[in-house]
Amino acid sequence: MTGNQTSIDGSRLAILTARFEGIARKMANTLHRTGRSGILTIARDFSCVVLTADHQLLATAESLPIHVLRGPDIMARTMADNHPVLKRGDAYLHNSPYHGCTHPADHSILVPVIDDAGVHRFTVLAKAHQADCGNALPTTYMGAAKDVYAEGALIFPAVKVQDNYEHNMDMVRMCRMRIRVPDQWWGDYLATLGAARVGEREVLNLGREIGWDVLEAYTRQWFDYSEKRMIEVVRAMPKGKVTRTSTHDPFPGTPADGITITATVEVKPDEAMIEVDMTDNPDCMPNGLNLSEATALSAPMVGIFNSIDHTVPKNAGSFRRIAIKLRDNSIVGRPSHPTSCSVATTNVADRVANPVQCAIAELADGLGQAETGALIPPSCGVVSGVHDGRPFVNEVYLGCTGGAGTPFTDGWLTILHVGNAGMCYQDSIEIDELRHPIFVHARRLMPDTEGAGRFRGALGAYSEFAPVDCEMTVAYVSDGNLNPASGTRGGLKGKPSAQFKRLADGSLEPVPACAEVLIGSAETMVSISCGGGGYGHPHEREPQRVADDVREGWVSRARAETVYGVKLDAAGHVDRPATAKLRGTGGKREPERARVLSGSPA
Amino acid sequence: MGLRFAVDTGGTFTDLVVAAENGVLTMHKASTTPADPVAGVIDSLRLAAESVSETLADYLGRGEMLVHGTTHAINAIVTGATARTAFLTTEGHPDTLVFREGGRMEPFNFTIPYTEPYIPKALTFEVPERITVTGKIKKPLDETAVIAILDKLKVENVEAIGVCCLWSIVNPAHELAIGRLIEKHLPGVPYTLSHRINPSLREYRRASSTVIDASLKPVMGAYMRGLDQRLKEAGFNGRVLVVTSQGGVMDAEQVAETPVHLINSGPSMAPVAAFAYGAGAEAETLIVGDTGGTTFDVSLVRKGRIPRSRETWLGQPFRSHMTGMPSVDVKSIGAGGGSIAWVDAGGLLHVGPKSAGAVPGPVCYRRGGTRPTVTDAALVLGFLDADFFLGGKMSLDRDGAFEAIRRDVAEPIGKSVEDAAAAIMELATEHMVQAIMDITVNQGIDPTAAAFVAGGGAAGLNCVAIGRRLGCRRVVVPETGAGLSASGALISDLKSHYQAMFHTRSDEFDHAGLNAVLTQLEAQCTDFAKGPGAGASAVAIDWSTEARYVDQAWEIEVPLKNSRIEGDGDLDVFVGDFHATHQDIFAVSDPGAPVETVSWNAEIRCRIGSAEPGRLAPKSGSSLLASRRVRFMNAGWHEVEVHRFEALPEGAGIAGPAIIESDFTSIVIDPGARAVRDRSGSLIIDIIQ
Repeated sequence: MTGNQTSIDGSRLAILTARFEGIARKMANTLHRTGRSGILTIARDFSCVVLTADHQLLATAESLPIHVLRGPDIMARTMADNHPVLKRGDAYLHNSPYHGCTHPADHSILVPVIDDAGVHRFTVLAKAHQADCGNALPTTYMGAAKDVYAEGALIFPAVKVQDNYEHNMDMVRMCRMRIRVPDQWWGDYLATLGAARVGEREVLNLGREIGWDVLEAYTRQWFDYSEKRMIEVVRAMPKGKVTRTSTHDPFPGTPADGITITATVEVKPDEAMIEVDMTDNPDCMPNGLNLSEATALSAPMVGIFNSIDHTVPKNAGSFRRIAIKLRDNSIVGRPSHPTSCSVATTNVADRVANPVQCAIAELADGLGQAETGALIPPSCGVVSGVHDGRPFVNEVYLGCTGGAGTPFTDGWLTILHVGNAGMCYQDSIEIDELRHPIFVHARRLMPDTEGAGRFRGALGAYSEFAPVDCEMTVAYVSDGNLNPASGTRGGLKGKPSAQFKRLADGSLEPVPACAEVLIGSAETMVSISCGGGGYGHPHEREPQRVADDVREGWVSRARAETVYGVKLDAAGHVDRPATAKLRGTGGKREPERARVLSGSPA
Repeated sequence: MGLRFAVDTGGTFTDLVVAAENGVLTMHKASTTPADPVAGVIDSLRLAAESVSETLADYLGRGEMLVHGTTHAINAIVTGATARTAFLTTEGHPDTLVFREGGRMEPFNFTIPYTEPYIPKALTFEVPERITVTGKIKKPLDETAVIAILDKLKVENVEAIGVCCLWSIVNPAHELAIGRLIEKHLPGVPYTLSHRINPSLREYRRASSTVIDASLKPVMGAYMRGLDQRLKEAGFNGRVLVVTSQGGVMDAEQVAETPVHLINSGPSMAPVAAFAYGAGAEAETLIVGDTGGTTFDVSLVRKGRIPRSRETWLGQPFRSHMTGMPSVDVKSIGAGGGSIAWVDAGGLLHVGPKSAGAVPGPVCYRRGGTRPTVTDAALVLGFLDADFFLGGKMSLDRDGAFEAIRRDVAEPIGKSVEDAAAAIMELATEHMVQAIMDITVNQGIDPTAAAFVAGGGAAGLNCVAIGRRLGCRRVVVPETGAGLSASGALISDLKSHYQAMFHTRSDEFDHAGLNAVLTQLEAQCTDFAKGPGAGASAVAIDWSTEARYVDQAWEIEVPLKNSRIEGDGDLDVFVGDFHATHQDIFAVSDPGAPVETVSWNAEIRCRIGSAEPGRLAPKSGSSLLASRRVRFMNAGWHEVEVHRFEALPEGAGIAGPAIIESDFTSIVIDPGARAVRDRSGSLIIDIIQ
């Protein structure tokens, strides 16, 4: 630190943080309100962030965790490396998983914020999942694509799309020739660009008001503050090293027994560091499940930040206390072109975040989480077809649950998946039936599908839907059929996912887990989503919570007795003596106390 | 015409504004009595009677009308005092209230549990029936099954029933049949049908409105009857009206039948008052901030209209339930005079969201509060006069405030106590500014082209600072600003809102079908005007539709110029208005794209009181009080003039730095700002940006 650097005190720090978070939020609000496709305006599948000029993540508002923790830094660096002279009025389109983007469906716009003297001060980034990105099939999740060529999306490694605030119409015309719903894409593109421009304008105003040097001092001190918070948290954690695995179901292009992901988490309180070693994993595979570098780095961090004090700010400062080890050309590493990363934000990424948070749970009670249910069942698939001569294609959100039990709460019902954190919305049945030629027979929760625990996982969801007066293709990549969400600290696993076609005669026909299924006009698609894993032994669950679950129909009486060890009387009240007997404790089993471990747990 | 009363029951204070026969206003504040809110209402009226040396009975006997804003409905929900309510819905979809619409805040915070459904699953029943998007009956209603369910409800001692079937807004036959069965088999049990209470698309929002409404019927019916009866006993024989979430008033008897309208009773009136006081020009856009002890409510007036939203939550977004009702768009955050300031282990200052509330309150209130609040900071800075708080009714403990800020803020962040107090005020201001930014960006409003209207007891402390941060041209503090909602209630119209779902597109427009719907809506309005609205001095219908581009997900509300859309000319006008409104809100439009409309609204407004807000009685004598030293947030200490708001003559200008004090509030005029009292009595503050 040099002597003449501006010092920012705790109150100034708070105000400027509110200002930067406000800018990211304003970007997000703009995108949400102006986007065209349902995936942006209904599901809210987008993120907006502010980075420093040296590509460090500064402010994220409330973005999807898997979108933003890491990756934006690499994307901004790619922009600067490829375009050594950045000018005001530039905008760059980026969706390359080989250069920091999550996956090709996440079209991102980066705008360098250039001050009045021509100096690059910050970068703003808006990232939005597309309804279609020009893949070979009408889906943005190409689970079976053997490489990027089979995937088919146009790839933009930080390509300049605006110069002096004017569009490069060549690029626009290329996209219109490749993307299936070009008007919708154009609307979403304008919304994303508009969000980035709002961010640019706001940062410029802030710099002019406060002074660029003060903002630079602010970012330095905000990172230091965030690191300090992280240091405190890690120092209070038990020392230990835990290896956990989680297995993705077999899909086309995977080994016959699926993909087992191994995560080794080492907490080093003395050094105030958390290290995650992801190098002991298979090489990239000839399918769309490979992680991009962005998701390979972000997924373990999702697991870490899900496991600790949530008030630690998530930015380049707190990230200094996290080291993620990756390997080149690994399915959880740095993929080389032309590896396909079509499904890099969900399936295998969840198999990384989940074992990390379970590993941390094993270190001490009160930390970590169980596993969240896997994605993407048909209820969150892409539906397409032709009705009355008009083509339709969109992703639906008709019931996907799966939140993991945590040290404090039962699983968040509408979590969607671990990397999403429940930020996306669920569809209205009426809106879906109005917008698409589909009919939703049922959407309901399924009793006894939760991973039992002191805090239980969320229940799985059942949904059944059908085309109206046409045929419908449903594309999905449903993990969790064979490998359900695990529990932790004695918590049990949730029920697996499943998918069927209901034939005209009413019978159910199983259909593959990774497929594009054609549903005839007299048939229906049946989708079952995963339950979440439980945290802590079910016998530690407060008996009244079990009684409440039975009363609400979430858990059967039989399961209350056999799994939770809770006996209810005829009126549904807890029978305390009988419960004590079932639990074999002579009383309520005491929740385990946090254990401070000096080494690896058994 | 007799006395007109407006009583707004807030969390801490019950505000009363009285308009005398000659139009002169008086304001009174009584403590809210949470256990029996009507007692607080009567107390405030007694204060007013005493101020003119009359008995309560004589005073109330002169009353013509009493308008009441109440938090009783939302309090009943928060405290679990609502009826034991059952939810009947379409077979196959029992978990609508459990899923809600997804979404979450604070993605890494897993200490907050998922919200329990508004109606327990144990009291949710699936009814065998299904109607499709076109209104066709796909599965007929199984009446035997409904009767069996009703029998169960009897055994379960259910006190109210909400019924929401998919697509009842297109074909209500099944809901109506269920309603008939309830009346036959459970006579006397109040129930609500979704297509009646909220005929709008999206089953979760409609179901939520329905069950909230049903659950409030017994408690709000009892409250309204009690209010009416006790006012009568006290001597009041006039009309009792209640403020609704839509920014209008309804007769107490009628609103007891549809209590979901009362969820936002109170805050919805702030923009009504702001518009009446602040409307220099019809086209002006106003940002309205209402600062109380614990919350800061922001609302808007855009070009003379108050924007509405259906995304009104009972509590925090995604952690509570949406009412689904079209309500005045109000955003609330936990920030106010009682917000607590603290410093975390990393040395970062925080203000709120925890509040000292009314009890124990700020340290300087001497009611046992130990943690420093925004009010304590205001006292240390000299914004408040320790000896002239609330017009001298209460004296404040400056030493206590100083010591608390020293201990909890100044020392941990290494600043002087005065600097720490300024930092607390600045951070509280920033939180309010961010709340304003959220609502303005969502409504497409540019704050730099708007005026900021400040209401609420704590508004004056930082309204100039907020206006300056937003880049507003001017700040308006109405003379009754400390009771902004109550003064709005006094001038609000009797309103009733009717809505019908009718889906059509501009490129294949069904004129005949639509006009039949509009004719029916107009008939409902006319009936209302002849009934509750009889004798109104003016009647008008505001027409609007909720429409969107064909591939969009969310509708926007577009005012209609005509009550019918007859030919292509009318259609072109409507479509043009849609594009213009879209451009206003989102800064983009797509003039080539077809437009689809989902629902149609008619709101009838019957003027029953005065259109003019009236004036407080002027105070005689000099407006100048003793000067004092004040520490401005970014401008250090100044010895400043202190003026008495009520005694400021019209047109008198005051240059900052200065303080303007009233019985209810203290207004900080920063250096560089200039205040003048206008003809309506409001203080207009020009900010040199």
